[in-house]
Amino acid sequence: MKPVGEEASSSSIHHDSSIPSGDNSVWADVSPLLSAACTDLQEGELINGDNFNLFAAMSALEIMDPKMDSGMVSTFYSIDEAIESGFAPVPISSDSTVNVQSIIDIMDHLLACEATWHMGHSLAQTVFSCIYVLRPERTSSQALLHSYCRVIRATCRAVVSVVSDARTNEEEDLFTMTYGLPFSGDEDAKGLLLLNAVEETICRQLRACKATRRRVLEDAELEPLQTDPHLEESFCKSLLCRIRFRKHFLHALNCMRRPQGRGLELARKHIAYCISELDSVLELEEFLRLNIVENGGNEIEESTTASGRSPIGFDPTLNKRLSAPTPPRAIKLLSWKKAIDYYVKLLHNLDQICVFSLEPDLEAVLQFVIQFQKSRPDLVARAHLQLLLVQDGKLYGRDTFLTICARSLALDVSKNHGLHTNEYILQLNQLMVNLLKILCANTPWQRRKLGKILNDWSIFHVQMGIAVGQMMQQDTSRASKNGDKSLLILNHIYGGLDEQINWVAIRFLMLGFDLDLYSPSEYCMVYWYMYIILWKLAERARFRVLIVVNTEERKAKRNKEYSRDMAREDQISLWVLFLKCQTCLAQGLTVMIAALRNEGMCLKSQGPFNTENEKFIQHFELLQKASLPEYDAYESFSKSTSHARLDYLPMYEYFHDAQKIAKDIKVGYANDPDKLAEVQGLEKVAERNIVAVNLFCQDRSLKVSFEFTHHPYFATAVVRRS
Amino acid sequence: MEQAAERSSTLVASTSQGSDLDPISRVRKLLFRQMLVGIKDGRFFLGNFHCIDKQGNIILQDTVEYRSIRKSSPSPTEQRCLGMILIPSSCRTSCHVDCSIEEQLSLIQLKE
Repeated sequence: MKPVGEEASSSSIHHDSSIPSGDNSVWADVSPLLSAACTDLQEGELINGDNFNLFAAMSALEIMDPKMDSGMVSTFYSIDEAIESGFAPVPISSDSTVNVQSIIDIMDHLLACEATWHMGHSLAQTVFSCIYVLRPERTSSQALLHSYCRVIRATCRAVVSVVSDARTNEEEDLFTMTYGLPFSGDEDAKGLLLLNAVEETICRQLRACKATRRRVLEDAELEPLQTDPHLEESFCKSLLCRIRFRKHFLHALNCMRRPQGRGLELARKHIAYCISELDSVLELEEFLRLNIVENGGNEIEESTTASGRSPIGFDPTLNKRLSAPTPPRAIKLLSWKKAIDYYVKLLHNLDQICVFSLEPDLEAVLQFVIQFQKSRPDLVARAHLQLLLVQDGKLYGRDTFLTICARSLALDVSKNHGLHTNEYILQLNQLMVNLLKILCANTPWQRRKLGKILNDWSIFHVQMGIAVGQMMQQDTSRASKNGDKSLLILNHIYGGLDEQINWVAIRFLMLGFDLDLYSPSEYCMVYWYMYIILWKLAERARFRVLIVVNTEERKAKRNKEYSRDMAREDQISLWVLFLKCQTCLAQGLTVMIAALRNEGMCLKSQGPFNTENEKFIQHFELLQKASLPEYDAYESFSKSTSHARLDYLPMYEYFHDAQKIAKDIKVGYANDPDKLAEVQGLEKVAERNIVAVNLFCQDRSLKVSFEFTHHPYFATAVVRRS
Repeated sequence: MEQAAERSSTLVASTSQGSDLDPISRVRKLLFRQMLVGIKDGRFFLGNFHCIDKQGNIILQDTVEYRSIRKSSPSPTEQRCLGMILIPSSCRTSCHVDCSIEEQLSLIQLKE
């Protein structure tokens, strides 16, 4: 490639014709004048006008800096020029073996590009850095490459559609913007059909070469993929598993988009095929590396293809001007192996979603989302989950939140059509939709938003309380006699709000541990806050159990054939016990850490910059604003922890209670392995802390640290000799 | 247009003394004028001359980038708006200022 500078000097005159100067004016060369002026300038002196602002000038884009200059010419001036100079030949090679190898390399590299794109980089620098994908019409004579490119474009479009609809991408960078990339048109839809045809052909070829080994008559019409008969079978297999993965992946995505979860079962099948095809791809990696000289361990690990070769036809700089209006960041593509790991994780996350039973049960939904988030799923999976859960303002696109909330109180709202348009129910619907969307977001964003909506929920709670209170006063005798339970239902739903708000609050507090937002010197105040919120939450949940039991008993009395939903009652009771267990643990931890602090065995939460009060406000301001609790939290915290001592007996009781409850509820969660594991963790935390406190009591010189070995949110005190 | 005429006339008036002024003052008079800077990879930037330093780095405002679609000339050019840019002296190959024919002489001329 000729150095670019040469071209510039020979064409420096031609700009005159294409870049016109003003009327009656010409372009005068001022270079010598500028040099002279620069020589005369002092060090650090500038020639600038009155409006010059150094600070503003710092934001100028620096030309020829790769980080800031997106128009920098590196290899080719444009895509067309690249094509003309033979950068992306069609066919890739006249040697069919090389052709097949190159196509496999392109497929692998595209997989790495696609995974990199999913993780937050621009399409232009990843998938669309491939000229074959940018100009698919060029490859129409090459069925394999052509159909593969079409299917990849269709897949990208499907993913862009999901993420845009879920609008989770505001939390990520540069994901869905296509900036003028050729994304429209329906030609890609035919891609799957073409790919199927290609798959068939290769399948027959595979059978043929297997058959040749057994000396059965060959099909004279079949053309071998490439020239070396010994390698034919493995090349066929390599291509087939890649083609099949692509096909099934697109099918899985399309199935999952079907409304109300109708396509989930079929999606599962496709996901299973995808996973098995990826296994095959990995198995055949050795074969593809056969002819390549080993470059050294590291290079192979970092390679974006199975063979270790660089693929043909890729140049991310060609599209730099399309990637974003802001200057491009240099991106590092995921290695091929890491890309496959990414897809395996994505497929497992998608499978998790497909297995969800879509019960119209609020607790089940919330529980599922929390459990799902534990594996830190990526954007694409979370977007699919959100779209499944919330469609058209309803749960699963099917059930209104009024129905769902009423169900959690064992209330039937099918006869109360007027309630659906009640302004408070509409607002509640909106709050629930928002909450579910937030719970599907990534952890940092989720926590921030949860903190913000606490205020919304709190205000709503107050407003609804006033309205319902007024309605109850005005309504003296009518409603209950007519059988119109609307007001009763509203009242119960209002009562259930408190539980919901505290649920959001405890999630907000616990996520702080996930994000490492608390330093050990702050654990005392965090556990104290968790204790009061959990206590309230448990109380409200217990109240709900009573309501449910009451409602069910009355229904059973009125209708002898009515069968009580004991399972639901038991489940809520179990949930209450689970909360109580956590409450005891939080209480125990608060007292233990306060005692250790008071006896000088661990850090106080006063630092050189902030007082304890200031730290408290920083962490819990949003909760206090939402009246959680209604009294002055810091004052209460100070009072309850200032006199804690290690020989304070109730501390042991809290841990013992937690242990006991944990043992009881293990039976109830026998069929739920995730919950069972968590309860066992809670039990261990209680056990270990009792042991630790005993040791501290005997020897005040021991060193203490806190670790989260048994549970991610409840710490275990670890004892060391000093 | 009037402003440009005014400016060029002021410059014409001062061209008689133009060659007497030192280079720095003459360059100062070029501020805010349309400047066309060519760089090593063949692109051109047209913007208002905003600042220059001792090393010869130039800042242009409201810049438009011109690039050709083909390496070989002649070829069609694409334009793009960039805003404020800094062109390091190391990559600058040419620098022209939009001026009247009368002015041209004084600008190219250097005091010996």
